[in-house]
Amino acid sequence: MSTSSEDVLLQVPSVRYKKGDGSLFLMDERLIWMVENRDTVAVSHPYADIKSQKISPEGKAKVQLQVVLHNSVSSTFHFTNKNGLQAQLADRDRVKDMLQTLLPKFKRKVDKELEEKNKLLSENPMLLQLYKDLVITEVVSSEEFWSQHAQQYTQKRKQQPQEIGVSGAFLADIKPQTDGCNGLKYNITPDIIECIFKTYPAVKKKYIENVPAKLSEAQFWTKFFQSHYFHRDRKYAENKDLFTECGKIDDQELKRDIQAGVKDPLVNLTEFEDKTLEEGYGGSIEKPPSNISTVSQAMIKRFNQHSIMVLKATKNKVNDNATDNAQSGSESSKITDEPVNKKQKILEKITYDDLEGEDVTKNGTVHLNLSKVERYLHGPMPDTAAEHINPNEASHIMRNVLQEVRQWQIRPHVPNHNLVPPSAATQALGDLSPGGALMRGFQEQSLAQLVPPHIEQEVRNLYLVLCELLGHFWKCFPPTAVTAEQKLVKMNEALQRFQTVKLKPFEDKLIRELTPLSQHLTKHLNQLLNAAYQKYNNWQKIKSR
Amino acid sequence: MVLSMQKSFERFYLKKMNNIELRTENEPDVSSTDETSLLVIIIDTNPTQKLLRDKASQLTTVVDSVIAFANSHLMQKAQNKLAIMACHSKTSQFVYPGPRKPVDVRQVDGQYEIFLQVEKTVKQNLSLLLASENSTIATESLLAGAIAMALCYIARIQRTKSAGIKLNSRILIVSGSGDSASQYMNYMNVFFTAQKQNVVLDVCTLDQHLSLLQQGCDITNGLYLKVPQVSALLQFLLWVFLPEPPIREKLVLPPPVKVDYRAACFCHRELIDIGYVCSVCLSIFCKFSPICTTCHTVFKIPGPLAVKSKKKKMKL
Repeated sequence: MSTSSEDVLLQVPSVRYKKGDGSLFLMDERLIWMVENRDTVAVSHPYADIKSQKISPEGKAKVQLQVVLHNSVSSTFHFTNKNGLQAQLADRDRVKDMLQTLLPKFKRKVDKELEEKNKLLSENPMLLQLYKDLVITEVVSSEEFWSQHAQQYTQKRKQQPQEIGVSGAFLADIKPQTDGCNGLKYNITPDIIECIFKTYPAVKKKYIENVPAKLSEAQFWTKFFQSHYFHRDRKYAENKDLFTECGKIDDQELKRDIQAGVKDPLVNLTEFEDKTLEEGYGGSIEKPPSNISTVSQAMIKRFNQHSIMVLKATKNKVNDNATDNAQSGSESSKITDEPVNKKQKILEKITYDDLEGEDVTKNGTVHLNLSKVERYLHGPMPDTAAEHINPNEASHIMRNVLQEVRQWQIRPHVPNHNLVPPSAATQALGDLSPGGALMRGFQEQSLAQLVPPHIEQEVRNLYLVLCELLGHFWKCFPPTAVTAEQKLVKMNEALQRFQTVKLKPFEDKLIRELTPLSQHLTKHLNQLLNAAYQKYNNWQKIKSR
Repeated sequence: MVLSMQKSFERFYLKKMNNIELRTENEPDVSSTDETSLLVIIIDTNPTQKLLRDKASQLTTVVDSVIAFANSHLMQKAQNKLAIMACHSKTSQFVYPGPRKPVDVRQVDGQYEIFLQVEKTVKQNLSLLLASENSTIATESLLAGAIAMALCYIARIQRTKSAGIKLNSRILIVSGSGDSASQYMNYMNVFFTAQKQNVVLDVCTLDQHLSLLQQGCDITNGLYLKVPQVSALLQFLLWVFLPEPPIREKLVLPPPVKVDYRAACFCHRELIDIGYVCSVCLSIFCKFSPICTTCHTVFKIPGPLAVKSKKKKMKL
């Protein structure tokens, strides 16, 4: 790395580092220190690596500057200007100031990425597990992980955030603070400014015109809050203001809005009247006294206007999107749309689902003509011919049975009658005990109970990782492009690494801890892997042909 | 009965009060006495069973075992109820409690009267039933009908029981007959009724594997057991079927076998894994046919034929 291609921003001679004298250079992208009279760079820290800088406290004998890196390594530089302490301090401060301006630029870049990834990992436990299993065990490299396996997560973050609307009370929410001497202090944030611009486009225009050419930002906002425009409902006027024009524009806008009216056909705003009910519930005929002070009228007008503006601010956004998406909608179609909309809205209001008739469903039914219906009644039974017993045999059996029953009834009550012979009883006991003829399959069922929870968790994680890898592996088929082939090779390697790094140790552990289950638990995982290997080998064979 | 029980409890408490201390808060645990269990046993007595054809005396062994088993059920709890049915080729009948007045019994050898009553009643009614059978034409056992009767009986007991008593009912079928396809619909109806009524169906087959009844056991959470040797029937009955369903979970019993729910195709009546189902009438076929033979719906022929016709059109 040659220093010639970089710009030297600052050079400070006589700086000691680890008991060696040299000079400190601040370059474009890194901080270097070179030993006196030599060309070799002894210390080189890219700014991106530097976490923070520290300086020795005032009044100390040594004037030092320490640079702490992200991997918590630090380098200390000792300023040894021969012109005395003051010069040393000045040297140090120059470096410090320069670093102070330089570091944030680089810091933000690195940190933002790191922070974002950190946040992603902490928000998604699944991803964190994958990260642990894939990256930390080096089955997959970190870049590959972020570019491929975490794609869906990172993409999700890139989605456009929902547009935040404007709060109706945003102006009232700016709480002015008194500064003690008959003045008010408004704290406005970029959010509030954004809100003001959204609601009052006229102000935005003014802002663009005047700031920063004629006024500073602070001045502009001071003016805004002081202005007649802001206090318009109060009737004291101060002519020749920046915002008088704004007021006029807004008034025109308001007039236009009133003329346009409200589009909803179910709302009749013009019919609104401030009627009150008299005592005895008769309508009062007399007009309300018209001598309401103009101040309060102005106030109401202003409130209305404010509300309209706030509503519009959100509507504009929607309209923008709509027009962006479909510009083909011409003016004429809009006009024809309106009556349809009106009709639709009224229909919506006057129809009730539960009052609808059912005649629609009654028509249109088709009758089924089924033949051989008896086939439905057979059931899942192979057609077995019924055992035929000829009548002679049947009557013979009947006789036997009857005789048996008769004997049985006559037989006196025997207290020691042996219903189950001992040998049969032992046989039955054997059959019904675990491991007996009737108890087959009992072992397998209790597998779930035999696996301790931490092993279960591990198996779960193994499946998570393997499924992720296999998903990418199988996605490569059929490999048509060169990149897909490369990815396939890479995924195959990753699978093999997974088997050696994760699966094999787990199997060994199982053999040690749970001997009877060792093969059972990972059998399916191995099957999955083998299927993938086989596919890969086949592909390789075909390719080499 | 409840009244008398209460009285005895009162007496018990009085005694305690006199002797030691007052414990009014402690309610007597009556839940166990409030729960009774009704067991309906269906015995297949059809003489055409292979079992009986080979050796007629097997019938008495089976019935004796069932009686012993039924008495064990009664012995478990004084409140337990019992019904035994005989399922024949033309009819199914209750043999205990029988249609006539209960037999008068007196204690013999210190045996509990009810046990003796069960034994005598079953023997008497069964021999009457067998003697009444005079036709020589052999038919299959009407098991589905017997289950339906048992369900009706359970429903009646359920209705007439006094309030506050919980009745757990189950049906045990002991049969040596084979599966019968002709009763398929009846079987399905009784199975689903039993499931709906929370009646558990247990099946103990003595001879052949009964796949239909196995399905019934499966949907009602009952047990299915094919007894390997009839001579030890009583032991199998006591071991597997005596515990009530809630207790069975805690015991190590023969695990349920995978039930074969495959359907049979309408054309050859063979069980198939994958088949064609008519989308109109739900008939099942093992091979594709363009016209459904049940509802005569015409289907399009899928696959290559359609491609050919398209090509022809393109040429035109």
